[in-house]
Amino acid sequence: MTTLHILNASPSTATQLKSCLRVVSIGDGIVLCGEAVQALRPGSAAAEQLLACQQTYHLYALQEDVQARAIDTTMVSVTLLDYPAFVALCVDYARVNSWT
Amino acid sequence: MKFVISVLSSSHAPSTRRALRFAQAVLAAGHEIIRVFFYQDGVLTASNNLVVAQDQQDIAQQWQAFIAENELDAVVCIAAALRRGVLDQTEAQRYGREAANLAEGYQLSGLGQLHDGLQQAERLISFGGQ
Repeated sequence: MTTLHILNASPSTATQLKSCLRVVSIGDGIVLCGEAVQALRPGSAAAEQLLACQQTYHLYALQEDVQARAIDTTMVSVTLLDYPAFVALCVDYARVNSWT
Repeated sequence: MKFVISVLSSSHAPSTRRALRFAQAVLAAGHEIIRVFFYQDGVLTASNNLVVAQDQQDIAQQWQAFIAENELDAVVCIAAALRRGVLDQTEAQRYGREAANLAEGYQLSGLGQLHDGLQQAERLISFGGQ
């Protein structure tokens, strides 16, 4: 049974990402939205943490939040989502965990 | 699929706007929203006394319109609401306050309503923080 983890906090001010990476299982999904998309910033410590175990999970990010922050995602394997795609993911995964 | 959506931050938090866009997409995809539950600072979204600067989006008003248009079951945690000054007519009278400010379409109730919604729904999506 796979889980979709939804993160919204900046990796520089919260431990959400760290805690999530500790419990993420093979086949799970991680959605970054709001300030959590800062974890995609190339060269950041959070980006390195994310990429270190990326074979385990699928990585998604809310497109409007990535664009609003002008984050270059060309170096990262991440699927950008609009809201309909976000909803569809919540349906596809058996469980959804909103980290707030 | 049946969703419950909980809103935990005030109406000017980006997460409350995200919750609204998500909820709109849920209905647009043909799914059902069993209940929207406003909790913690999220209860402020149900106040009809908010005045937003003209150059900003009034997300509380957009939530109120969305709830009315789709006749959604919008429940506001009563304990969280009272301590933040969001009162309906009954509570305003009970506590001797001058005015009620709970927007139309919302009802004050307890956490039990969140639990009840979860019994019927297949997904709970929470929007809090920033």
